[in-house]
Amino acid sequence: MDAFLSPSLAISLPALARGLVHTLELAVVCLVASLLLGLVFGVMRYAGGRVLHALAIAYVEVFRNTPVLVQILWFFFALPILVQFEISAFTAAALGLSLNSGAFSAEIFRAGMQAVPKGQWEAANALGMSRTRVMFRIVLPQAVRHMIPAFTNRWIELFKLTSLASVIAYPELVYSAQQISNSYFNPVEVFTLVAVIFIALVIPASYLLRRLEARLRRSAP
Amino acid sequence: MHYQWDFSVIGDNAGLLLWGLGNTLLLTLIAILIGTPLGLAVALMRLSSRRWLVWPATVYVEVFRAAPALVQLYWLYFALPRLTGLRLGGFEAAAIALSILSSAFLSEVFRGGIASIGKGQWDAARGIGLSYPRMLRTIILPQAIRRMLPVFLERYIELLKTSTIAATVSFGDLLFVAQDISYRTYRTLEIFSAIAVMFFLVILLCSQLTRLVEHRLARSGEFTAR
Repeated sequence: MDAFLSPSLAISLPALARGLVHTLELAVVCLVASLLLGLVFGVMRYAGGRVLHALAIAYVEVFRNTPVLVQILWFFFALPILVQFEISAFTAAALGLSLNSGAFSAEIFRAGMQAVPKGQWEAANALGMSRTRVMFRIVLPQAVRHMIPAFTNRWIELFKLTSLASVIAYPELVYSAQQISNSYFNPVEVFTLVAVIFIALVIPASYLLRRLEARLRRSAP
Repeated sequence: MHYQWDFSVIGDNAGLLLWGLGNTLLLTLIAILIGTPLGLAVALMRLSSRRWLVWPATVYVEVFRAAPALVQLYWLYFALPRLTGLRLGGFEAAAIALSILSSAFLSEVFRGGIASIGKGQWDAARGIGLSYPRMLRTIILPQAIRRMLPVFLERYIELLKTSTIAATVSFGDLLFVAQDISYRTYRTLEIFSAIAVMFFLVILLCSQLTRLVEHRLARSGEFTAR
């Protein structure tokens, strides 16, 4: 195990730190984008007219029923042929991960809104509120509580999936690790360290999110 | 410039694409066949009253659920040979990584299913003098598995999608075959769209089957605990 004491690991640390920053950047962008996509398509499926409803179903089914790696590679290699301009690794990874996670999020939004009793709509309508107002003031705030556990799982999953961006050479943690191990021939140290970094971030994060869930459940009326 | 679609490349390589799809399904099946019993064993360890069984199982589940699948695969493929001298091929590395990964997730499903069986069932089984393995096999697991079946099937579908990471270590699955064809023919758009459609159809079929099972179970009065 004295491989771990090799100086190559010390040299590798700054590059891995930059990789971690890129991982986090990608994760945050995809998290925000997937929430917005999920909200839009979730509401379309829950309350939209026939066309919007069908569009939302098509979106959800396509992106949930294909592997996210295939989506990322499609955006990176195939889409540029179609639109005739270069798509960066970051953009392709962000598109694939956000649209994939957005499809799952749309289903979480829909299920959460469906859990809100119909009587709430009727009561709000009786008060003369517009549909949009009912949606954003009455239904969504109540639905959010039902969604928190599903979203925390989704976000953890999304964070782990950012590792797939390494396949199209976006310099996040895993790609940095590959580069380092190619130059210094230290795959044991580097890949173990990357696994440890992920575990050290994911386990405390899921613990904190579970605590938050429990607190929200207790404060529920 | 307008792009000229040419789907003849799909027909020319149909055999190769189907071979890749077969490999994808084979890899998934192996991971299911190894991961499911392994997941049960880990779940039983976690539910045990002996602490020396509980904590290794807990660490196993937490670690393999927290590390991304790709990192686990790369560790087996790039790091393990340096550490042990044992060289794994792309297929072996992917099969082991996916089996371990799915066992960690499935053990949580097993644990939930087993824990959802009422205390009375355990007491009654013990009361008629059944041994622990017999009790599990004849009383507890049949009920737990019925309840958890839709969740299992969902996990298996997830596994099928995750299996595409095997292409990164040169296992000839559907994704790898697609990359190979696109390097040779430059018909990247058609090939990648075609395999997306192939995955879509296979996975849609699987999720429809899952939904059918779910309906059957709901009608037979078995509640699906999630």
